Amino acid sequence: MSGPDDARDEAREDAGPVAPRGIFDPDLLSACISCGFCLPACPTYSLTQDERSSPRGRISLMRALEEGRLDEDDPTLVEQASFCLGCRACEPVCPAGVQYGALFEQWRDHQWRGRRAPVRARALRAATTVTPAITAAGVLRGAARRTGPADVDKVHLMLGCAERALFPGVSRAVVELLPGAVDVPSGQGCCGALHGHNGDSAEGVRLATALGDRMPGTVLVTAGGCATHLAHVLGRDRVRELSEVHVERWDAAPDAAPALGEVRAGGRRARVGLQDSCHLRNGRGVVRQPRDLVARVADYVELPSAGRCCGSAGTYAMLRPEDSRAVLDVHLDEIEAADLDHLVVVNVVCQRQLVEGLRRRRSRTTVLHLAELLAVALRAGCGPPA
Amino acid sequence: MTPVTRTGLDPVALDTLRGIVGERYVLTSDGDVEVYSRDATPLFRGRPDAVVLPASTAEVSAVLTLATRLGIPVTPRGAGSNLAAATIPEHGGIVLVLTRMNKVLEVSGAELLAVVQAGATTAALSDAAAAQGLLYAPDPGSRTVSTVAGNVAMCAGGLRGLKYGVTRNYVLGLEVVLPTGEVIRTGGRLWKDVAGYDLTRLLTGSEGTLAVITEVTVGLLPLPAASGTGVAYFDHLADAGRAVAQIIADGVLPATLEFLDNRCINAVEDFAGLGLDRAAGALLLFGDDGAADVVARSLERMGTTCAAIGARGVTTARDVAESEALLTARRCSLPALARLAPVTMLEDATVPRPRLAEMVDRIDAIAARHDVVCATFGHAGDGNLHPTIVFDPADGDVRERAEAAFADVFAAAMELGGTITGEHGVGAAKRPYLRARLGDDQLALLRRLKTAFDPAGILNPGKLGS
Repeated sequence: MSGPDDARDEAREDAGPVAPRGIFDPDLLSACISCGFCLPACPTYSLTQDERSSPRGRISLMRALEEGRLDEDDPTLVEQASFCLGCRACEPVCPAGVQYGALFEQWRDHQWRGRRAPVRARALRAATTVTPAITAAGVLRGAARRTGPADVDKVHLMLGCAERALFPGVSRAVVELLPGAVDVPSGQGCCGALHGHNGDSAEGVRLATALGDRMPGTVLVTAGGCATHLAHVLGRDRVRELSEVHVERWDAAPDAAPALGEVRAGGRRARVGLQDSCHLRNGRGVVRQPRDLVARVADYVELPSAGRCCGSAGTYAMLRPEDSRAVLDVHLDEIEAADLDHLVVVNVVCQRQLVEGLRRRRSRTTVLHLAELLAVALRAGCGPPA
Repeated sequence: MTPVTRTGLDPVALDTLRGIVGERYVLTSDGDVEVYSRDATPLFRGRPDAVVLPASTAEVSAVLTLATRLGIPVTPRGAGSNLAAATIPEHGGIVLVLTRMNKVLEVSGAELLAVVQAGATTAALSDAAAAQGLLYAPDPGSRTVSTVAGNVAMCAGGLRGLKYGVTRNYVLGLEVVLPTGEVIRTGGRLWKDVAGYDLTRLLTGSEGTLAVITEVTVGLLPLPAASGTGVAYFDHLADAGRAVAQIIADGVLPATLEFLDNRCINAVEDFAGLGLDRAAGALLLFGDDGAADVVARSLERMGTTCAAIGARGVTTARDVAESEALLTARRCSLPALARLAPVTMLEDATVPRPRLAEMVDRIDAIAARHDVVCATFGHAGDGNLHPTIVFDPADGDVRERAEAAFADVFAAAMELGGTITGEHGVGAAKRPYLRARLGDDQLALLRRLKTAFDPAGILNPGKLGS
């Protein structure tokens, strides 16, 4: 039998270590075997059919960066680090268990270090570090009233930096749903998810830790992206997302569950769809719970793309509005085709994205946070148990 | 034939390419070409000078005409999910990516066929067929990713090979562009058509060395009314091999007979969490489709045979969802094994079915002799094995040991009347072993065929027929 010929040797790559630059965790980077099973799950690959904008392609780019074949100024690296939504849809479908989300944060930490980050990303990172400004916005907009220092016997509701300013009704709805069980500690800042996903994961960890210190015990979070980031820093057992909390509580003690009525529209049970939060679904594995809750109070309609990113993706809609809308369009088409009364969201940026998208299309469908939908059902029922 | 050497592309040629497909579909920067330097084969990389993404057959033709005129190597590529380094541009030049041409053009229930563009995924074809109550039978493990033309170029196999055959059994006709630019149609919409040499069959499995496939017409079958899947656990993989031989000897020809060894069971279980028996030495996945009563009887007979061979447990899937979960998990065996170590090198040796248990024992002995960790899974019903060596490249001379082990595996397979590759193809990865399989005279014929199609030697140079 003949041995390997010259061309084979030429095509073979040196698998040995090649003076890594230390940008990435080597174990995470070596986990990908380039099988390509991630391609169909990736929203940006769906837009382009071009492997540069696929998870496998991006990991090839990360490897070239790590091994020094490309530097951070390479235009393809710059573009792809920004074009990726960071939705992590490639993770649950990856049989090799590649932790793309972690690799992506390490990539952005390097690629967007200091002044290399897009100006808008730097501005957002800076703005959300100022706790008094966030607090003032929440007060002005009428988010749930703060209750002073954390009460050790209660679950602490995290107000979120964007949510309390954009959708103050969400935190009020949570307080209505869980009377006496939650408090709203004052002095809450940003959880740092924004920093973690935008090239400053050290600040992301610092802010999450500070928030955890302010709220010792269990933290209740209404935004999937924040919940996943916070849990990554504080530990999963300390951080509960809204839908998880409700399903657990109501399943554990059905008698103590409030009497929920029906959400109705046009004289019938409302048709309600859902937009998953990517990090909640792909990072935390919460899929069943929000569907379960919607189905308790309305006719649940599973949209074909319910589990795919809506294009809001943290700061993405602000940094890359055109691409963000291209990703969103598929969802808007499906929502209109399904003729929904309400679309339920479980994350603040998705809420903003879909509210604006449906408004542009003058759609009849209204967007509600899951807490808001449940609060409507609560009012339609007999109210909380005695 | 004069081998094409890597020369880089001159600016005029690049401008011409941009004129053909549009500025944004010619990629040349370092970062751009990096992404298209690999496929799913570990340890192979080749840097192209340009990546071109055409949108039509006419564009493909114009690109190839230019490439032949200027002697530019062209490596066609679909999703890049092949496992033989067949899409690695070893001599640089152009990587021609067909993923933009991805439409399912037609599904005809009356004619039992479908027509798709080159870059449609296998899953898209299969879904479109299923929507009309039809079955596209070939189902390679990478079906959600792989393109139909890529399947044809590599003659992809899959989990249903035993009863339904592989890609070649379903290709009715092709539209291809010859390296010299002519667009021809081979075969067509007919199940019977013997006018001329069977170029459709020749092009199927030609690994992008003879022509670029731009459109594929495939045959479909009526969707079976029912399907079912069962699982049997054994203490040893060779026992599962014996069960397979006995099942066939009993006169059952099931749709699926797949096996996994203990390492594969655990890797797949880590990913899919199906509740598989992690302690078992081997798992045999058996399945059939057809009329409901036939499927039930067939599953029962296979289960009984497994028990008689000494299975430590036999279960059947409760419903279609559970069945599909098992098959999906099996398709993920290879990437799931990547959890064990940074590099997973897999092979594709195939032996006559009655020699399966013997081959399994030989693989075990070879792995032990070369001191490598080998996990084996495969299409047991087809005698098609995927021994996979997992290693950390930092571990001394392990890569050399792995390669030596595979050389022994190929030799053993051929000794038992088998082949070096059942369904993954030769590509660059198995080229060194092709002579041993085909012999000098046949290799020389391959070269003459290649020259007849590709006088300038531009198409996937260095692979089959070079």
